[in-house]
Amino acid sequence: MNPSSDPLQVVHLSKRYKSRTGSEVEAVSDISFSVALGECFGLLGPNGAGKSTTIQCISGFYPASGGEVFVDGHNVHTQPKQARRVLGVCNQDETLDSDFKVLDQLILHATYFRIPKPEAKKRAGELLERFGLGEKSGENIENLSGGMKRRLQVARALISQPCVLVLDEPTTGLDPDVRRMLWEVLVQSRSEGVAILLCTHYMEEAERLCDRVAILHQGKILDVDSPEKLIAKHINRDEVEEEVRPGVIWKRKPNLEDVYLKLTGSRLGVEGL
Amino acid sequence: MRIPDTLWSIGCVWMRYYSAFMKSLLYYLLTTFLEPIFYLLSFGLGVGALVGNITTEGMHMSYRSFIFSGIIAQTVLFQGFFEGSYGAFVRMYYQKIFQAIAITPITLSEVLWGELLWDATKATVAAEVVGLIGVGTGDFTPHCLLTLLPVCFLSAFLFSAMGLATAGFSRSIDELAYPQYLLVFPMFLFCGVFYPIESLPDVLQKVAWFFPLTSVISLVRTLTLGMPFEPQAVPLLLVWLVVLVAVARRSMFKRLVK
Repeated sequence: MNPSSDPLQVVHLSKRYKSRTGSEVEAVSDISFSVALGECFGLLGPNGAGKSTTIQCISGFYPASGGEVFVDGHNVHTQPKQARRVLGVCNQDETLDSDFKVLDQLILHATYFRIPKPEAKKRAGELLERFGLGEKSGENIENLSGGMKRRLQVARALISQPCVLVLDEPTTGLDPDVRRMLWEVLVQSRSEGVAILLCTHYMEEAERLCDRVAILHQGKILDVDSPEKLIAKHINRDEVEEEVRPGVIWKRKPNLEDVYLKLTGSRLGVEGL
Repeated sequence: MRIPDTLWSIGCVWMRYYSAFMKSLLYYLLTTFLEPIFYLLSFGLGVGALVGNITTEGMHMSYRSFIFSGIIAQTVLFQGFFEGSYGAFVRMYYQKIFQAIAITPITLSEVLWGELLWDATKATVAAEVVGLIGVGTGDFTPHCLLTLLPVCFLSAFLFSAMGLATAGFSRSIDELAYPQYLLVFPMFLFCGVFYPIESLPDVLQKVAWFFPLTSVISLVRTLTLGMPFEPQAVPLLLVWLVVLVAVARRSMFKRLVK
């Protein structure tokens, strides 16, 4: 049992594995962070930065090569059942169970957490309403749009009323209105005290939703702080100039993307970093 | 009384499969039971009427009874292997069901036990239905269905594990065809479903005994037709069972977990 009160703690986590070609890959390298109750913590980085591998280690699906992960004080690798009872995970891949209709899907998922069926039904109905899927409860999964499937997958992660919610790229490829709806749900969950780990490569999303952000690059955390402090610390200018196309220069406020580009050594035509 | 976590979790996975089965009952009944029934009608009644009676290992019997018992074993092989290979591959690769369940309090190890248990259950029930038809036609006695149960279940577990190992090793759904054509169909044709393996040359008989279906067929015929018990059948079956279950689980872990 870890003595700290933060419901999610990642301590010196490393993950190495052999690629298909046989070479050793270090996807995650000695990263540490914790997420407090009612906090939204962003893991920010491009594809291949190690975000999904980190999530697979946090959920206990991948064993860690080094370090530990604690969920509500339980080590996810030595006490996976206890840890996962309070952990809700929404993977980047669509993992909805296409053999079951929308409502049944949620009820079925609740049974994996030993939630009694009447309670599961009640929670499932409430979640479908909250995610705007109430009218789709009897639909087959293949009849849902991409945005609906994504909402359902996030709803499924909440069916166990977790104290830690882990979301891997929840809004990738979604329309702006669906994205905003998911943002509202996340804000509401955070206000209810859920600790949220949000993995995203959308800088605007991280800036908008996250209390703190870790910039992840090639498996390493380059810096952790609130978006405002990161921008102030690494950019320290009121305005940056960006050549958006040859001969056209925009002046704008610095953002997390600028921080990311500066920390990773990329410039991409942004001046003043 | 609270059921121990691991047992409950495996049961939960089994129930997920059962619920999916019940939701598409007509489809599953057709795909599970029609094939062995077609074999029964074609070989049992058709070829059986042509051949009449046969004598094997000093016993005289109708070819129909002989073939019925072989088709019980063949049903276990086909149902177990195809559910474990194609069924599990679709669940793992396309539906990502294993990945979805194994991030809940149910572990991947329990998901895989639940998968094998379900595949074996389905194959056992299919085999028992063939047995029931045999009882109806007077080829077997009703108590055979009970004595067959453990043999069918263990062999169904074995062939399901063979299928699951195949799913774990295959990079694409097309690759599932290799063991299907190089292992399953040769077993079906050369392990004694349609004729006593004593008809084969000595070398081929030895080769046939290496494959688990020969042991299964031998035990099924002992239990249904009273044919002589071959003592090597049980240890061979158990060794295959242990090896294939271990290989299946290892291959799936290697496939899913980095």
